[in-house]
Amino acid sequence: MTIHFIEAEIDLHSAPLSLNQKVEEVLADHGEPLRWALTRVDSQTQTVHLEAVVTTP
Amino acid sequence: MDQTAHPFTVLLLIPTGIGAAIGGYAGDGLPVARAMAQVAECLITHPNVLNGAQLYWPLANALYVEGYGLDQFAAGQWSLRPRRHNRLGLLLDQGIETELMWRQLQAASACQATLGLTISAHEVTDAPVEVQLQMATSGATWGRVVNPDTLLRGAEKLLRRGDVDALAVVTRFPDLSCGAALTAYRHGHGVDPVAGAEAVISHLIVREFQIPCAHAPALSPLPLDPQISARAAAEELGYTFLPSVLVGLSRAPQFVSGPPQSGDITAAHVDAVVVPAGACGGPAVIHLSQSTPILSVRDNVTRMEASAPALGIPTLEVGSYLEALGVLAAWRAGVNPLTLGSGVPSLGR
Repeated sequence: MTIHFIEAEIDLHSAPLSLNQKVEEVLADHGEPLRWALTRVDSQTQTVHLEAVVTTP
Repeated sequence: MDQTAHPFTVLLLIPTGIGAAIGGYAGDGLPVARAMAQVAECLITHPNVLNGAQLYWPLANALYVEGYGLDQFAAGQWSLRPRRHNRLGLLLDQGIETELMWRQLQAASACQATLGLTISAHEVTDAPVEVQLQMATSGATWGRVVNPDTLLRGAEKLLRRGDVDALAVVTRFPDLSCGAALTAYRHGHGVDPVAGAEAVISHLIVREFQIPCAHAPALSPLPLDPQISARAAAEELGYTFLPSVLVGLSRAPQFVSGPPQSGDITAAHVDAVVVPAGACGGPAVIHLSQSTPILSVRDNVTRMEASAPALGIPTLEVGSYLEALGVLAAWRAGVNPLTLGSGVPSLGR
């Protein structure tokens, strides 16, 4: 197993429930999620910064 | 759900490793938890809030729930099954040197003899775990675990015994005795440099085995520093950080992924979530925000810049935990907190 740290930007255009789904979609490309948080919101670009730890086999 | 049919349940969140002004140090969120446990009939919170290294405070109505488990609970995937007594397994990193290893074992023995805990067995991993501490762009800490598989093999060996209900993990962390980050933390204005890595380790165990787990780092004792902050002082008292972990795990609820039984606690039972105002971007808050009132606390500044309004999450923002306690008391009584001030508007035609 390998542990990876991921950072990404996500569009903030919808209610929190779909935010979860968007995060899961982004992380699925990188591995199995272990821990994540939206750490900063850019109100001008309407994006949110994601920091996450994922694992791969 | 009939809100009067279950105990008034509050979820207190102070994420670890994000530099929280209150609760980001050595169990300094514990006074908040103690007070909140008097207002709530059931308080759900996590190890970062309740662990003060050598210091802890048993709260009969508080549930000690590891962060990954908390996220699954909030997502509706897992329920919590309260336990009166867990038998503990202790997993120790092969990378811990002999004298420090003995300190961990003696701390565990003390918890058995003096506190009446049950520690069924201990195991040493078949290889050094090796942890590298890192910091993210946000200023939050995290860690790379070089050999996660050795942790999982050791945990599996303990669980195969059949007499272990919860796991305490102790991993050798890098000594940072002269680092600026550690000095800032000890002086009460930095981010806990080991917290993020600790979360990675316990999350791995909980995700894999669905069992209560918490972590204590193995670190060499630090030199005396007269400038230690009171908030960080609990971690200066002894050779290990283990006692609070073992106490918390001894009564941690089990995780249930199947249909809940009577007495199990589900996300639908949560009456309120309390979170630092800028740290609303975690999965638990986002999952629960659709169904549960969120109380955000402005006083508790963190390195995060994800407020509820910016994320589109409805919240009641209060200035302090003291104010939060008042709101919770009002909610528990079924009273609108806004009616406790002088300016209550009348209804017009």
